[in-house]
Amino acid sequence: MTAVLVLAGVVWREMLRKKDLYVLALLLVALTLLLLTVDTFGAKNVSRYLLDLGLLLIWLLSIVLAVTFTARQIPEEEKRGTVFPLLAKPVSRWQLILGKWLGCWTASVSATILFFVFLLAVVYLRGGEVDGLALIQCAALYAVLLGVIAAITLALSARMTYGAAATTSFVLQGAVFMLVPRIPTLVGYEQGLRRSALMVLYYLLPHYELFDMRRRLVHEWGAIPWSAFGLIVVYGIVLTAFFLLLGWAAYRRKLFRRGEAL
Amino acid sequence: MPFPIEVESLKADFKVGGERVSALKGVSFRVEEGSVVGFLGPNGAGKTTSIHILLGFVDFTGGAARLFGEDVRRQSARSRIGYLPEHPESYRFLRGEELLRMSGRLFGIKGKELRNRVEGVLERVGMQSAARRFIGTYSRGMMQRIGVAQALINDPDLLILDEPTGGLDPVGRLAMRDIIAELKQDGKTVFFSSHELSEVERVCDRVILLRAGEKVAEGGIDELVAPGESLEQYFIEQVCASGGRAVQ
Repeated sequence: MTAVLVLAGVVWREMLRKKDLYVLALLLVALTLLLLTVDTFGAKNVSRYLLDLGLLLIWLLSIVLAVTFTARQIPEEEKRGTVFPLLAKPVSRWQLILGKWLGCWTASVSATILFFVFLLAVVYLRGGEVDGLALIQCAALYAVLLGVIAAITLALSARMTYGAAATTSFVLQGAVFMLVPRIPTLVGYEQGLRRSALMVLYYLLPHYELFDMRRRLVHEWGAIPWSAFGLIVVYGIVLTAFFLLLGWAAYRRKLFRRGEAL
Repeated sequence: MPFPIEVESLKADFKVGGERVSALKGVSFRVEEGSVVGFLGPNGAGKTTSIHILLGFVDFTGGAARLFGEDVRRQSARSRIGYLPEHPESYRFLRGEELLRMSGRLFGIKGKELRNRVEGVLERVGMQSAARRFIGTYSRGMMQRIGVAQALINDPDLLILDEPTGGLDPVGRLAMRDIIAELKQDGKTVFFSSHELSEVERVCDRVILLRAGEKVAEGGIDELVAPGESLEQYFIEQVCASGGRAVQ
């Protein structure tokens, strides 16, 4: 476990000393301040509007952060050559995968919490209110989702370059976000093999919509039952574990620079 | 008493661009405790592949490889070794001492012992004054020295160095030679690959020479090199003996 924590610590140092996080934080601040100007157009319920758009921004920016940051971890280790002295120590490839994921996930979640705090401050300043319990559930489910996204990206980066892993992950995340919730509608228009294929896809692909409580928060629908919350968390943990195992399976016998083993 | 390195009939086959390549064709050798052994051969002879197998980076397709009697594929086999790669790059966003603390923790060293080890290795490689600087600001020679420091953090019984003097200026080479000599005095086993044959001649007890994935010579420099001849001449003779390509 020590090795995993040490590796996660290196990821944290990298995030704090490189500029990605600060750039995204500045972008969030700038966009939120821009949103404040909507008041001049006389929109009602401006705090709710701010919360809605702010949450969307947080989702997008933290996914960008999680994907770009996670996608470069393993390819950069190989490109720099730092993977060699690392694996020459009593560190297994599984520990490397787990340490990288833990570092990227906790770093992304911490940044997201900061983003949430900033957004809440803005919403309260504009006289808005947020259901505390729903907010905690919303943030917790989003944190679990970031774990899934980081695990998928890490699994891709185990065999891809940084650019390829990041691009594939973005495309995949976008497709899952937009396509999966619409599959039941599409199923109604199809028949036979296409219908079955769509159903298989529906059950195979991750369901990100389960982790999305933004509407409940914005429209004050309140918290979800803890049993449902618990099931979604377990679903997220299972997905994360599956993709981490996939990443490990792809990485465990990977050769560096020397072709493929027969 | 197990040997620090024991390799028996080691074979490694790879697919490179769809073509089968035999990087090692049944290589056998042993490295005795407390010795300094040079691992020589032209480019593509199989030196780095052998080292990567010893470190568990690459799987072998036949034979056996052991470190201190333990199969190299076991994680614990790497607990008594230190390794300096061919091009010692590092985490440029870390400070020198942070890298060493991180390396120490990966070996389970912590607290006061870790602090003492970090100070000790920094002193040994002459990097105390640059320890708080970011690695990204280091010169090539400093990068090499911090690489050696991280390889020494666990006080290893066996040091595996891949081209430790490659790309260093004469002062850097001298410093590296001194470090290897000190390690030898401390009774450590040093196994290193190099193209710098004059360096090898100065510091090594024994050499192992590979050519095209096969061992072509092994022994003390006095045993292999005829009086009045240099190791470089011997190397070229051996490498060119069967149409091999000598490396200048």
